[in-house]
Amino acid sequence: MARSVWKGPFVDGYLLAKAEAAKASARNEIIKIWSRRSTILPQFVGLTFGVYNGHKFLPVQVNENMVGHKFGEFSPTRTFTGHAADKKARRG
Amino acid sequence: MPATRIQLGVIGRAHGVRGLVKITSHTAEPVDLTAYGPLSDAEGRVLSLRWVADGVAEITRYIDGVPVKVTDRNAAEKLTNTKLFVDRSALPPADDDEFYLTDLIGLAVTDKAGAAIGTVSIVHDYGAGASLEIERKTGASLIIPFTAACVPTVDIAAGRVVVVEPDEIIVAEDAA
Repeated sequence: MARSVWKGPFVDGYLLAKAEAAKASARNEIIKIWSRRSTILPQFVGLTFGVYNGHKFLPVQVNENMVGHKFGEFSPTRTFTGHAADKKARRG
Repeated sequence: MPATRIQLGVIGRAHGVRGLVKITSHTAEPVDLTAYGPLSDAEGRVLSLRWVADGVAEITRYIDGVPVKVTDRNAAEKLTNTKLFVDRSALPPADDDEFYLTDLIGLAVTDKAGAAIGTVSIVHDYGAGASLEIERKTGASLIIPFTAACVPTVDIAAGRVVVVEPDEIIVAEDAA
């Protein structure tokens, strides 16, 4: 069942505090979080989070298209066997 | 250093009695397996594929430069588990600030001062930007975002990347 709209998106409180600190510092920083259940808010765009997958903190660079999704969606917990042999990575 | 040959696929089991085989393609688009020129097996023998159905192909071997089609099931079964390679140079050049994962894996990692940190072991990319996992000589592996701020220099020819480890945000609430 979908979450009621009147409640607004769920975000763990500590995450908002860390995001504000990161925006204020404007340095090369990563925000380590365990809250995979938190919704990605518009104010997180441009920040880089390290989202725990039970094993590692995988970097998640937040962009506009990710708003409304949960952090956990971008940090898979299952073993990944590898990307395509001709896959390219773009430097952000 | 980047690999000179890249495995793009593997021949699976025989399909039917006319020499067709199942193909497992490791390219982003499976049909692109045939888009990068001639394929070769682990021993360097040249093969070519022609797709006849989804995931099924006809194989042609080149014996002394002469093309010989695989036309029967017994010959096709002998090819099972043959790995298919292509020369790295056959892949089209990447755009600016874009790198093949295969080129990044294995590069030496140094800090800005030139001190060795380790080697790139894995490139993660799950839809939220790429990140490099660095296997350190000592201690746990390090994962850093593949951004210009964290990876200011990527020198494929020299076989090294320069990384700047990002700081970690710590706020007072964390201590509680």
